[in-house]
Amino acid sequence: MQRTRIPTSAALRVAATAFALVLLPFVFRLNGHAHADWLQFFGRFHPALLHIPIGLIVLLPILEYAGVRRPALRESAGFVLRLAVAFALPTLALGYMLAYGSGDTGSTVTRHLWGAITLCIALMLCALIRSAWAAGTQPRAYPAMLTFSLLALLFTGHQGGSLSHGSDYLTRYMPTGVRSMFSFGSPGIGADPASFYAQRIHPVLDSKCVACHGSSTEKGGLRLDSYPNLMHGGKDGVVVIAGKPEASPLLSRVTLPTSDKHFMPAEGRTPLTPDEIKMIRAWITAGASSTAATIPGFAAAAQSSEPPPQPVGDYSALMPEIQRMQQQQGAKLVPVSAKPSDGLILRTVDIASTFNDAQLAQFQKFAPYIVEAELSRTTVTDAGFDTLRTFAHLRSLHLDGTAITGSGLAKLAPLKQLTYLNLSNTHLTAQAAATLKSMPQLRRVYLFNTPAEVGTASAKSTP
Amino acid sequence: MKQHPLCTDCESEVDITSLPIPAGLKQEWSTMETRRRFLGRSGKVLGWAALASLLGESALRSHGADTKNPALATRNNLGLPHFAPKAKRAIYLFMSGGPPQMDLLDYKPGLAAQFNKDIPDSVRGSQQLTGMTAGQSRFPIAPSHWAFKQHGQTGTWVSELLPYTARMIDDLTIVKTVNTDAINHEPAIMLINTGNMNPGKPCLGSWLAYGLGSMNDNLPTFIVLQTKTNPKENNQPVSSRLWSSGFLSSEYAGVGLRSGGDPVLYLADPDGVDRDTRRKMLDAVEQINRQTQSDVGDPETNARIAQYEMAFRMQASVPELTDLSKEPQSTWDLYGSDAKIPGTFSYNCLLARRMAERGVRFTQVYKRGWDVHGDVVGVLPVLCQETDRACYALVTDLKRRGLLDDTLVVWAGEFGRTVYSQGGLSADNYGRDHHPRCFTTWMVGGGLRPGITYGETDDYSYNIVKDPVHVRNFNATILACLGIDHNKLTYEFQGLDQRLTGPAPAYVVQGLLA
Repeated sequence: MQRTRIPTSAALRVAATAFALVLLPFVFRLNGHAHADWLQFFGRFHPALLHIPIGLIVLLPILEYAGVRRPALRESAGFVLRLAVAFALPTLALGYMLAYGSGDTGSTVTRHLWGAITLCIALMLCALIRSAWAAGTQPRAYPAMLTFSLLALLFTGHQGGSLSHGSDYLTRYMPTGVRSMFSFGSPGIGADPASFYAQRIHPVLDSKCVACHGSSTEKGGLRLDSYPNLMHGGKDGVVVIAGKPEASPLLSRVTLPTSDKHFMPAEGRTPLTPDEIKMIRAWITAGASSTAATIPGFAAAAQSSEPPPQPVGDYSALMPEIQRMQQQQGAKLVPVSAKPSDGLILRTVDIASTFNDAQLAQFQKFAPYIVEAELSRTTVTDAGFDTLRTFAHLRSLHLDGTAITGSGLAKLAPLKQLTYLNLSNTHLTAQAAATLKSMPQLRRVYLFNTPAEVGTASAKSTP
Repeated sequence: MKQHPLCTDCESEVDITSLPIPAGLKQEWSTMETRRRFLGRSGKVLGWAALASLLGESALRSHGADTKNPALATRNNLGLPHFAPKAKRAIYLFMSGGPPQMDLLDYKPGLAAQFNKDIPDSVRGSQQLTGMTAGQSRFPIAPSHWAFKQHGQTGTWVSELLPYTARMIDDLTIVKTVNTDAINHEPAIMLINTGNMNPGKPCLGSWLAYGLGSMNDNLPTFIVLQTKTNPKENNQPVSSRLWSSGFLSSEYAGVGLRSGGDPVLYLADPDGVDRDTRRKMLDAVEQINRQTQSDVGDPETNARIAQYEMAFRMQASVPELTDLSKEPQSTWDLYGSDAKIPGTFSYNCLLARRMAERGVRFTQVYKRGWDVHGDVVGVLPVLCQETDRACYALVTDLKRRGLLDDTLVVWAGEFGRTVYSQGGLSADNYGRDHHPRCFTTWMVGGGLRPGITYGETDDYSYNIVKDPVHVRNFNATILACLGIDHNKLTYEFQGLDQRLTGPAPAYVVQGLLA
């Protein structure tokens, strides 16, 4: 058997191309500035073209494998491989033009870029050593390189998908169980969670700006996904000047006429509403603080905001048991919504007159999933607090019209999610009502028509 | 005819043709009877049997086989609520007739200077008017007879006719730009209630009952309260077509409580019949109905069974609901003594609060008489006096009891009224015609942004200049507060995925939501 040599000229060509590819990001740096429009015009064909090399690359191992039985297929694999290289290189070029032209930066962009470069080089190496493998002289190198190419393809494709659809595209509808296996922690926002920034400003930036100015894409080198990043600014300098809203680019860019080429959010994305702009202006005027909880003019509204509800686990597996429970004792566990992570409501209204502490205790096994307990007008007593304290995700508790006096109310203190507590028309004592002060998580407390109401001035208190 | 097991002297089958009725009708009946016989009794014919079992099964599936709550299985399949709702229940205060917005909440200070001047043609445009004013030679501007003042932290302008509404103005979400397609009562009231001007579609309450189901199995999911009419007012007819379930199963229709006497007629057992006897009777009826259901497979039979059961449970729950003797004095201080008289708007508002406490999903209170074509100065104060305090009392009562957080309250009519006077305009009186282009409503409670006024009308309260809210978008927003995506709550009928907001695109008015 004649030893198949790799032609020197081919090896040189591959080395030169690989060198050029590796050099590319250093010559044309992705520095966050947009470049010529024609670059973007061509660059936007990248999403169209990229599917061709992907299809060809995926076809390769199939052809090679099927070629064991049908040699004709293996012969065609060589052609497909060269075709894949021929398409992969222009795809990479277009993708680079897209990023360079529009000024995209960010960790996802970088990962996508280097993934693509690696993939192209690996493919070219495949093409280079395949003939040796086909001749039987190098049995390992080519399959290894092909496997590596496929992994690189998977990685690059995923990064690209994250760029165009958002980084949570894959995980958003992932079942809760699967999701918990990977821990998707969200990065901190670098500000006091109770601050005006965290409560009011961050959500606006998060919904309107972070798509382009976040961790995956950093247009203009600007990230608005956390307080430190916001205050750090971008390539063109700081965007927030505390106390000077009109001089702050953050505000001026969103208040330009929509036809202005510097208007943000760009490219027809949803503009900020007048209320959101008013809020940002007031926040900057007041010093753009990361800790201040209230801003003049917005104090009342800020106070009513509640912490976002925490998702509970998936109770779907317990459904048969829940239904059995409902048939046996009449009290129901009703889904808050079609989404299991929104939790369950314990509903007793149609058997309220007979529902007691013992029945309540039976629901302890569903404790982690219950976010709301409707116990109005039941015969539940103070002893029920022993069960209720185990409802760790409880957000709303209705005890109005019961005979409770509130002794043991303090047992609810560890329920950090509890924001609504209705104790109207009960025998709640003033003494018990005083323990409510030790539960800062409560937002809405109702003491109407109780002995305690006489003590406190208003029926509704916000500790 | 099958002989019932408990029946000893069963009548022989009636022959229609021997009855004293017109021959043509007899003939028609006899053809129907033939078909019914064929369908109902030829169960042994193989093809029909197969078909019937298929239809019957699918009807059973889509209508739920759970005897206690036939709607349960349906709802589990619907996947509702689509998202976590802010409001669990709603109370709809329906001001039938069309309240005049510029006399109540849509303040137009510039009108006083234009008293008796003609409304500019540019404002009215080429709009088609009702037959009642189309023939008028002039359209003189009638400024509101009443003074307006700013109230609350929000500084909202409120007419002096609504002193109580003014007290809660900071809680309200006022929409000044609701608009409708119809200029007459019947189509307009159908449109806002059912999303279609023609009768036959399910109303908002029925959609909610179908989609969200009951919270309390002992009371209807959807209750309608009518207010006794005041003969001084111009009352437009209101009837069960407005709380019909349309093509949805009739168990989702609104249950009307009467405004005087027994709230539900014949609810109490007659003398000599105790509850056990009633139970036995219902069990026997149910057995017969189940037989019919298995023979014919008509889903409406299930609805009938459910309704008998509901009526039985209501025998206990309705007297408790309407028994106001245990209400504390604070209730009467708030609502006023009118609330003790059944059939008044105050009484209905108090009942609506009691229903909210007891888990009625949707309560609609109708108040007629807002159709003020003439004598606005004489009639409007009466209407406001009847409703203003009650509305305030209801909202305040819900709020202090902690119910407003998850209850949505809506105040609306079917359209607004014209700024120009219908009939003669004098220095101290005027009339107002129907006006579909803009009218004012308010809402309060779960899911809404309190203390805002949404939308702007022009200087004549005639056209909308900012943020229009079509009634279908208004309804879509109500559904959104209750956790429903209006595009997803559909029911296939006549080849369409029917929905409350109709086939035209509708959207949720995000500006109204918290």
